[in-house]
Amino acid sequence: MADKENTDENILIIDNIRKAFDDLEVLKGISLTVARGEVVAVIGPSGGGKSTLLRCATTLEKIDSGKIVIGGQTLCDTVGSKTVYADKHSLLDIRSKFGLVFQNFNLFPHFSVRRNITEALIHVHKQPKAEADAVCDALLAKMDLSDKADYFPCNLSGGQQQRVSIARALAGNPEIIFFDEPTSALDPELTKGVLSVIRELAAENMTMVIVTHEMSFARDVADRIVFMDGGVIVEEGPAYDLVTNPKAQRTKEFLAGY
Amino acid sequence: MDKQLILSTMLQLLRGFEFTFGIFVFTLLFSLPLGLLVARGRMARNSVISTVVRIYISIMRGTPLMLQLLLVYFGPYYLFGISTGNAVIGPFNYRFIATVIGFSLNYAAYFAEIFRGGIQSMSRGQYEAAQVLGFSKSQTYFRIILPQVIKNVLPSVANEVITLVKDTSLAQVLAVTEMFTVAKALASAQVSVMPFVVAGVFYYIMNAIIEVSLNRIEKSMSYYS
Repeated sequence: MADKENTDENILIIDNIRKAFDDLEVLKGISLTVARGEVVAVIGPSGGGKSTLLRCATTLEKIDSGKIVIGGQTLCDTVGSKTVYADKHSLLDIRSKFGLVFQNFNLFPHFSVRRNITEALIHVHKQPKAEADAVCDALLAKMDLSDKADYFPCNLSGGQQQRVSIARALAGNPEIIFFDEPTSALDPELTKGVLSVIRELAAENMTMVIVTHEMSFARDVADRIVFMDGGVIVEEGPAYDLVTNPKAQRTKEFLAGY
Repeated sequence: MDKQLILSTMLQLLRGFEFTFGIFVFTLLFSLPLGLLVARGRMARNSVISTVVRIYISIMRGTPLMLQLLLVYFGPYYLFGISTGNAVIGPFNYRFIATVIGFSLNYAAYFAEIFRGGIQSMSRGQYEAAQVLGFSKSQTYFRIILPQVIKNVLPSVANEVITLVKDTSLAQVLAVTEMFTVAKALASAQVSVMPFVVAGVFYYIMNAIIEVSLNRIEKSMSYYS
């Protein structure tokens, strides 16, 4: 496939999406494009729509209007006044193209670490168990958790749990990973381990969208930062520039708090 | 006291125990899955379904089980003129069948409310994690949700199961010759409370076995918290 070499290929295209909960419009026409290998950090105050944006991109919320394309496949599109989502079959395909890491991990507590990672491989992607186990072992080694395969999530620290959930998100070999405040439930000590794993992924050119409050991390790791407030993208630009030299007044105010 | 009499009383009670045990097993067999179904109906988004199910649960919990048994037994005749006196399924006569139907309908209502509590206590994150990993609805339900719900509801279910053992004695109202019916007959024939005491011991032994088994199951599921 020729487009594999095309470094400009866009993995995620979000075009003018709107989302309201009852009367409250949370996303007021957001557009965001993420290229292969790019790391985009989304920052902004709580209630600004960051998490909702992520939830819309990962099929957890349905948008009211706009268009979302992931890995070249259209998740949803507004034609006329109607927003149409992909059918069940395509949806499964689209879901295999991305991974999502939750703020509070959402590991399956009744499964061992190994089963947390392999269950979807075996029962959704229909991989043989031996193959899934090999994928799991490689990922656990990468997460520095090789000795924890048979542990249950309740016996792991928060940082370890989050690394398991990153491994789970990576297992399906996604083209892009979304992180929804991956360290907000962790203390500073545990945050380090999780951030270093994400740094590693960035070094491997994994495409990532990270909602985060870790400003220095965003500055160092992201290629681009998007600042959201009030349901709109107030400002976006190269990570270092945006943090050190914000243009918009609202961005300046927000960053002054850090 | 006459040892011979105690022994023959025990033997006769054990014959009644066959029915007690039968009611118990069949009721669990039918009411547990039915309870799961009723719980789903109770949580249905369709308001007609959820209202009908809610009324069903309310009536089942709000009226005596003994009355419900009588209605299941006599209802077909008085409502529809269907004679059930000679109806049999395999080795079971309609008295026994009506008992199992009545018990199952009643216990399903209680189980449904227990299951509903267990299902609703599951965090949304579990469904969401399963969804983005690509699990189908039924995979999510049977692999992710249900196993956790079962662990959570086990203590409450154990309560109902133990109550069920004692409730089987209500089948006497349909003259099913379960253990309590037999005990009553023996007590009046012998003019003695001894048969009641023996029956009580049998009920207790059965419940003790159930308690130990359920505790074991509970323990086997305590590998995570």
